[in-house]
Amino acid sequence: MDLPHPDRRRARTPPRAAAPPNPAWRLLALAWHYRAACLGVFAFQVVLLALGLGGLGLSGVAIDVVRHALVPSTLPAHWPLGLTPPASWSAGGALLVAGGAVLVMAALRALLLFGYAIASGHLLQMRIVPELRLRVFQKLQRLSFRFFDDNASGSIINRVTGDVQSVRAFIDGVLFQGAIMLLSLAVYLVYMLRAHVTLTLACLAPTPVIWLITSVFSRRTRAAYERNRALADALVLGMSEGVKGVRITRIFGRAREAFDRFQQRNVAVRDQQEAIFRRVSRFGPAVSFVTAVDTAILLGYGSRLVARQAMTLGELVVFAGVLQQFAGQISSMAGIWNTLEQSLAAARRVFEVVDAPIEIASPPAPRRLPDLPPERRGAVRFEGVSFAYGGGPPVLSGIDLEVNAGQCVALFGPTGAGKSTLLGLIPRFFDPVRGRIRIDGVELRQLELDDLRRNVGVVFQESLLFRSTIAQNIAFGHPEASAAAIERAARTAGAHAFISALPDGYETRLEEGASNLSGGQRQRLALARALLLDPAILLLDDPTAAVDALTEDEILTSLEGARAGRTTFIAANRLSALRRADLIVVLEHGRVAEQGTHAALMAARGLYFRAASLQRLGAEDEPDGQVAS
Amino acid sequence: MSGPSPSPAKSRTAAAPVAVPAVPSAGALLSDREQRPLDLGIIRRLYGYTRPYARLRNVLALLVVLRSVQLPLGVWAVAQIISGPISRHDTRAATLGILGYLALAAATELTFVYRVRLALRLGEAVVHDLRARVYAHLLRLPLAFFARTPAGRLIARITSDVDVVRTGVQDVAFVSIVSAGNMLVSAALMLRYDWKLFLIVLVMAPGLWLLLRHFRGRLSRAYRAQQESFSRVTASLAESVNGIREIQGFARQDVNGGLFGQLIHNHARINMDAAKHSAVFQPLLEFNGQLFLSLLVIIGGYRALGGHMELATLIQFLFLSNAFFGAIPNLGTQYNQALGAMAGAERIFALLDSPPDWQDAPGAVDLPPLRGRIELRDVSFAYQRDRPVLSNLSFRAEPGQTIALVGHTGSGKSTVVNLIAKLYLPTSGAILIDDHDLAAATGQSLHRQIACVTQENFLYTGTVLENVQVGRPEATAQQVREAARRLDVLDLIDALPQGFDTPLGERGAGLSLGQRQVICFLRALVAEPRILILDEATSSVDTLTEARLKVALARLIAGRTSVIVAHRLSTIRHADQILLLEHGRLVESGTHDALVARGGRYAGMVRALAASHGAAESR
Repeated sequence: MDLPHPDRRRARTPPRAAAPPNPAWRLLALAWHYRAACLGVFAFQVVLLALGLGGLGLSGVAIDVVRHALVPSTLPAHWPLGLTPPASWSAGGALLVAGGAVLVMAALRALLLFGYAIASGHLLQMRIVPELRLRVFQKLQRLSFRFFDDNASGSIINRVTGDVQSVRAFIDGVLFQGAIMLLSLAVYLVYMLRAHVTLTLACLAPTPVIWLITSVFSRRTRAAYERNRALADALVLGMSEGVKGVRITRIFGRAREAFDRFQQRNVAVRDQQEAIFRRVSRFGPAVSFVTAVDTAILLGYGSRLVARQAMTLGELVVFAGVLQQFAGQISSMAGIWNTLEQSLAAARRVFEVVDAPIEIASPPAPRRLPDLPPERRGAVRFEGVSFAYGGGPPVLSGIDLEVNAGQCVALFGPTGAGKSTLLGLIPRFFDPVRGRIRIDGVELRQLELDDLRRNVGVVFQESLLFRSTIAQNIAFGHPEASAAAIERAARTAGAHAFISALPDGYETRLEEGASNLSGGQRQRLALARALLLDPAILLLDDPTAAVDALTEDEILTSLEGARAGRTTFIAANRLSALRRADLIVVLEHGRVAEQGTHAALMAARGLYFRAASLQRLGAEDEPDGQVAS
Repeated sequence: MSGPSPSPAKSRTAAAPVAVPAVPSAGALLSDREQRPLDLGIIRRLYGYTRPYARLRNVLALLVVLRSVQLPLGVWAVAQIISGPISRHDTRAATLGILGYLALAAATELTFVYRVRLALRLGEAVVHDLRARVYAHLLRLPLAFFARTPAGRLIARITSDVDVVRTGVQDVAFVSIVSAGNMLVSAALMLRYDWKLFLIVLVMAPGLWLLLRHFRGRLSRAYRAQQESFSRVTASLAESVNGIREIQGFARQDVNGGLFGQLIHNHARINMDAAKHSAVFQPLLEFNGQLFLSLLVIIGGYRALGGHMELATLIQFLFLSNAFFGAIPNLGTQYNQALGAMAGAERIFALLDSPPDWQDAPGAVDLPPLRGRIELRDVSFAYQRDRPVLSNLSFRAEPGQTIALVGHTGSGKSTVVNLIAKLYLPTSGAILIDDHDLAAATGQSLHRQIACVTQENFLYTGTVLENVQVGRPEATAQQVREAARRLDVLDLIDALPQGFDTPLGERGAGLSLGQRQVICFLRALVAEPRILILDEATSSVDTLTEARLKVALARLIAGRTSVIVAHRLSTIRHADQILLLEHGRLVESGTHDALVARGGRYAGMVRALAASHGAAESR
């Protein structure tokens, strides 16, 4: 199901694993791809751990040196690794050596910590995240529209941003942290056991209690937090609707009711929090009390050991320090587990995109469109074409259509009749379920996809213009287009006049949604954008749907010039947009109900005639010679 | 760079061009600064919000003081047990000490339980009140405010801003007091044991503080750069997702991929920058602690060896200085959060302080039940001072008449409607409803007798029934059904998946344009208004639906005074009076026939419309 990919420039991205279903394997495969860097980062941690332990141990030695010097009856200091200084050294000298060694180790640790942060930062921020992001983005761009219809835009954006970060967190938050945790636990445990076995066991006895408290807490609160998030979302939605619908609230004089609605949600959030507060306020103290009990055990048992001279005071202090570190690592386990769960969920969403099959792609050996003179380009043939969205009910069934080069075809029919879908089949936004479509005799699926799409210009109902200059928007399909070419396209689309009237002309920056232009101006820019590539086929998907009647007239006039020399398809609801079409195709329930010229269809007295009469009734109540001139 | 808005066009949602009134707080409202220095005024005002919960707050203050003593005492107790009985090998005393320590720990944690719970409760209560106040204030602000303030910014007030304030109330205040108390008590204990050694400890403190400040400044700048860069990434992504049809249709994938690649590479570099700062900061912080520890061991050890101090004191210092220094980074974090909370609170207060541009006159009276006569006398209006939108407009509509406002985009049609509904006040001139001057009437009493249908057909999340009841909350389901029957749209609503109980998604998603408009018509009808305001939708719906809508509209406006911003010739033609506006001036008015006969601008416009609409039909 992995179709050939049009873009082969992904050499640096990790090779595809054999798509095992479990996202954990995918994550491990991702880490494996960066194994060298991961190992390097890990090595830093091993050395850091050793240095930390060394520093801690030496501070204990220093205490014992002093204590032994002051109270000779106590045990002498145990120097690590048998590096006991010669007995000739004074206590002050030994103290200086121990203190100095702690300092040197600390300095080394600082340097290595810096190196570790840079190395892991480089691996994560400069390699994994951007590479994965680009990979997801490249794939997104090639997915079918269905994916975009099925998923809210916020969720799609989040896959490239937040979800990729969570996937990354698997590397540093789970793999690195987990390895560090296991390693430190092992080292600390060995250290403590070597110091004293029973003391270690006694001190570790309460640890399972912390574990228990943590897991019970997180299980109990998770549901409460989820419910809280839902309530908070409802609150924000209420506010957002209140702001967006302020006109309605105002004009119906319903400020009080609006406030009450908001207050209900506001109070719900506050009151639900109370339950969370009770749990949260018990959790933290419970954990720290267990730690206090731990300390008490250590002190109680430790005091006996020191009294029996089984342990030095310095060793006890060091033991306390190591125990604290040990507890810290244990409590970080919950965090690692959380990160793991999050990164698995995120990985599912990210790999869903990465693994999504590209439904529409170029064939392995694409054909080119025949080299025809301009006036003979753009003949389109539908041969028994049927279409349905993802196994749903048929949207188009058995469409046969023969359109000659240079003709203008109007598609007419009620909403949902399949007009937009039929248009979308021509640039292969979707592929027919059955049947074939040919352009100039070549089946669409045999053509190079980009080549096909560059030969088909599209204007949508409401065209999205991008936040850049007008010139860049017109040159969207061909960023290297010359200024002359851009102006030519704008002239043909009837946009040159209003663009030149703007203070910055073609360099005017469009705001979000091009809100600094009128609806008619936006559509003429969209038309210019489509015309820039000089397409053989022009598709107009109800381009006047969202503008008022006067603006519609302006756009339709611009279209006159634009369609010269190309095959044009226009889908429309209003009869006004259908005039002067060479062929009108009336669609109903995904089938061609009628086709012919306006005159022929009026004479046939079918669906078209009825709709036309209804609309005429609206526009012209009575025959009105003086108006229609 | 972008200069003044180059075209008079307006976005489809904003009812009015952006106005910049002389509200002093507007600047504060518009700039989303991340931080703000501590400001006593803001703190005092936030403190005022805790007044309704004074008991809670006072108990909390007591707990905080208690805890700030308990914490260092616990540390002291441990050090005391080690350096005393354990060092002396006195097991019995050690056991007693440990029991005492456990009792202290239990008391400390008990304090902690209530400290946390009450602080959370207080913060949530304050935030709840703030949100309610913000929303209530928004409901009082005139429409012009919403036209010039992006909705996202207002929503941020009750989300992210309120969140930082909550943290400020719940954490910052109390945690800082505990940390500070912890420091003070530890310092006092150390001072008591050995003031000379304490002075050495004290010398280290400013160094640590400066280090923290220096890096926090750089880090927060780096984080800000990160955030800005991230929002660029998100914006670019959003455009790509929304423009996927354009991207695929124009085969732009490769160009876009390249641009996006650059953008995320850039973002990665900025991320790395921030990582570098913290890569220096964290080790330095740790090294600082180690440096201190080893100095303490060496100097303290020497002093102990020389008999200038006891070993027990050194052990005390090792523990207490840890508590002392641990509080510093803690305070730094709290300080940073406090700055964020200040900025959030300032933005919220700026919104609460922004005075309405206007409100009902002091002696405004409620309007009696209206007949629906509308008169505009010499009305002018400008959103911005020297850019008049309406100039000297006068007209009169008798009860029950239909007035069609006609003209190009930007001619002032929507403004006329906004003035009649008293959503804006005229700059000069008077508007009279049944001979009552609107300037002396309450907006609420007018609005209860007006209904409107806007172009965007705004619907709330909720069921169809709930949306219709916005028109009149006391209307029963039965009455709503009856209204739908009167409007002849009952079958259309019953055809929805669950009829009147069909839930509508955000902004009425899931319904067709026609269905949404039907619900809006119904909502207006249920309100039983005397005056109906209608901004005709420009979007085309299919012919059959349009025919149904036309019938419903005719029933809706029957017997009421209606003012319609009209786009369709069919609506315009039926109006009792047509007002043709051009650049805010009334250029022609009269009935369709009279105006066509006159052969002026209206006649020309009708010709243009008819040419585009009617050509197909004219044989």
